[in-house]
Amino acid sequence: MLTREQISDGLRRALYVTNERVETAIFLALALEKPLLIEGPAGAGKTEVAKVLAEILHTELIRLQCYEGLDEARALYEWNYQKQLLRMQAGEQQGLRWEELNEHIFSRDYLLERPLLKAITAPSRVVLLIDEIDKADEEFEAFLLELLSDFQVSVPELGTLKAHERPAVILTSNRARELSEALRRRCLHLFIDFPGTEQERKIIEIKVPELDAKLAAEAARFVGAIRKLGLRKPPSIAETLDWARALVRLGVRELDSDAVRTALGVLLKHEDDRVKVESKASALAPHRR
Amino acid sequence: MSPLRDQLVGFIAALRAAGVRISVAESIDAMNAVAAVGLERARMHEALAAALIKDEADRAIFDESFNRFFAAPRANRAEHPDHRGEQVSAAGGRGRPGENPFALPSDDALARDREEKSLPSEAKPAKQAAAARRHGAEKGKDAEPGKDARRLSDRMRARQERGEAQAREESPTPDIDAARVARIRAIERTPFDKFSDLDYDEARDALAPLIRRFRIRLGRRLRLARTGRIDFRRTIRAALQRGGALIDLNFRARRPRHVDLVILADISGSVRYAAQLMLELMAGARGCFRRVSSFVYVDHLAEADFEDGHLVMTPALDLYARSDFGRVLGELWERRAGLLTRAAIVVIMGDGRNNRLPARADLVREMVRACRGVVWLNPEDPARWGTGDSAIKQYAREVSALAASRNLRELQVALAAIA
Repeated sequence: MLTREQISDGLRRALYVTNERVETAIFLALALEKPLLIEGPAGAGKTEVAKVLAEILHTELIRLQCYEGLDEARALYEWNYQKQLLRMQAGEQQGLRWEELNEHIFSRDYLLERPLLKAITAPSRVVLLIDEIDKADEEFEAFLLELLSDFQVSVPELGTLKAHERPAVILTSNRARELSEALRRRCLHLFIDFPGTEQERKIIEIKVPELDAKLAAEAARFVGAIRKLGLRKPPSIAETLDWARALVRLGVRELDSDAVRTALGVLLKHEDDRVKVESKASALAPHRR
Repeated sequence: MSPLRDQLVGFIAALRAAGVRISVAESIDAMNAVAAVGLERARMHEALAAALIKDEADRAIFDESFNRFFAAPRANRAEHPDHRGEQVSAAGGRGRPGENPFALPSDDALARDREEKSLPSEAKPAKQAAAARRHGAEKGKDAEPGKDARRLSDRMRARQERGEAQAREESPTPDIDAARVARIRAIERTPFDKFSDLDYDEARDALAPLIRRFRIRLGRRLRLARTGRIDFRRTIRAALQRGGALIDLNFRARRPRHVDLVILADISGSVRYAAQLMLELMAGARGCFRRVSSFVYVDHLAEADFEDGHLVMTPALDLYARSDFGRVLGELWERRAGLLTRAAIVVIMGDGRNNRLPARADLVREMVRACRGVVWLNPEDPARWGTGDSAIKQYAREVSALAASRNLRELQVALAAIA
């Protein structure tokens, strides 16, 4: 069992710059053995929390990426149909009776474990990341409820499988649609927003140490400013870091409007966003030419 | 019950009263969360938020209530043990009488300083005003009462303003505008019969994201499933290559569903908001259907269309006429019979209040026979169905489905279920 301080330490060691709110939420998710639902804009570091948590706990991260049409067969388990057939054919040649065969082909050997089942049957505690749950259908969300409250699943042929060690579950959502109240009730909730300028500067300094400290501060301020322009897709933290690396590679010494323009494609992924920022580049860049 | 537990129960009750939905399980989580993190104020704040607040839109209410209930500890309580009650209530700031604000035990002034820094900026005014009053009360015993406090509160205000400016600069624009989300949620739950013109305008504003969501939802329901019935012939043929082992399953392709929609909406008096919002929602989801024909009615049938967000009807209807759904049904049945095919779903939105004119429920029965289905959406409260001049009970016997749609949320759910 980790203490609150160990989590802060672990986060720091994993180079994850964060705040009181995030640390407390992670601690509680572990202490109360509850799933943690993380919401926030795309690219604010939601998925990263799960990765870092797995690192802190020295355990495996099992990831379930949700998408439209995701069903139980993809998320939970599926019978290995081909293998069962081969087994039946082999069995026939050996002259096995149907009852014996039946016992064989509906055993764990013929089960294809998908992420959810894998997380539950894992011998030690793992971190289960259910990413972008808002992309999955409502039916799938309802199906998750049993799993999240009791950490058990029923496979008709095998009975109920219960987790030896409850996995630490992290769900993330970008709010493409409203999640059901039932799901929210079962989870702890955390909202992660884009970091403030100061926090982002720290992130850049830690992750891209090659970048000059003054330039890092300017870059953080610049990114913070363009996020306020109401872009179609505001730059994520990962993109900020890519941009910082690009600045290093380009040998930029000062963040003037030309330097801003050259590497803007790293930061902005829509043409109209780029036009918008370019038109204001000279006003936003800390150094004038 | 321990006093702290009482406090938490009271706190949760206050949040519920403010409109935050908290289940019993969540309140138990909250207790466990506090037990896990301890009583350090900032930590407890975040712990309670994680357990109780599942929607960022509720966060402001939570922060405000938390500051009212769990006032920051005094640094110098030891010096004035007899002042406890008074000071606690002062520290409670905006606390209403009888709410019994509760001060957490403090370790030292240092901890307090730290907390103050980590506190969210909007929490500061209440706390600082309270602190100012507290200082005033303490000094007031020997010096002039008001002056010190005023000077202090001036200084506080200056600091606070500076702090806010800083916070403004610091805080990046969030992708999800919490206030906007809260507004959409509120308008979604406002019953149509409580709508004013202002609400209607607001609902129209909120509609844009709703339409998109609705379209996605509908599209998903109508989309072809990847798997379905097994195509036996193709499966066996594929198996022949493998000596008869059914290794690959082939599925029969599903036929695309063609759905024609015929919408009939009552735009008289009380139900007009519901009808207009429904028409607009459906106009946004037009692409999901093969053909959508919209009609509005009061005592006659008129074709409806949207131009720049305004309802256009031909011929124009007298909105204040006595609604007569029986006649409208007759007109539809006689003049527009071509629309009522096996592929058509008829959606009727109205309260079925027919001014005691003939209901013509028999025509609805005929329509059910001719079409894929007839769905009735009623914006009235189900408790009032069938009272007075409401003929909804008569129609209810004939239609394929009848659903209440008292607010935008129910309307969306009902409409999505149709497809």
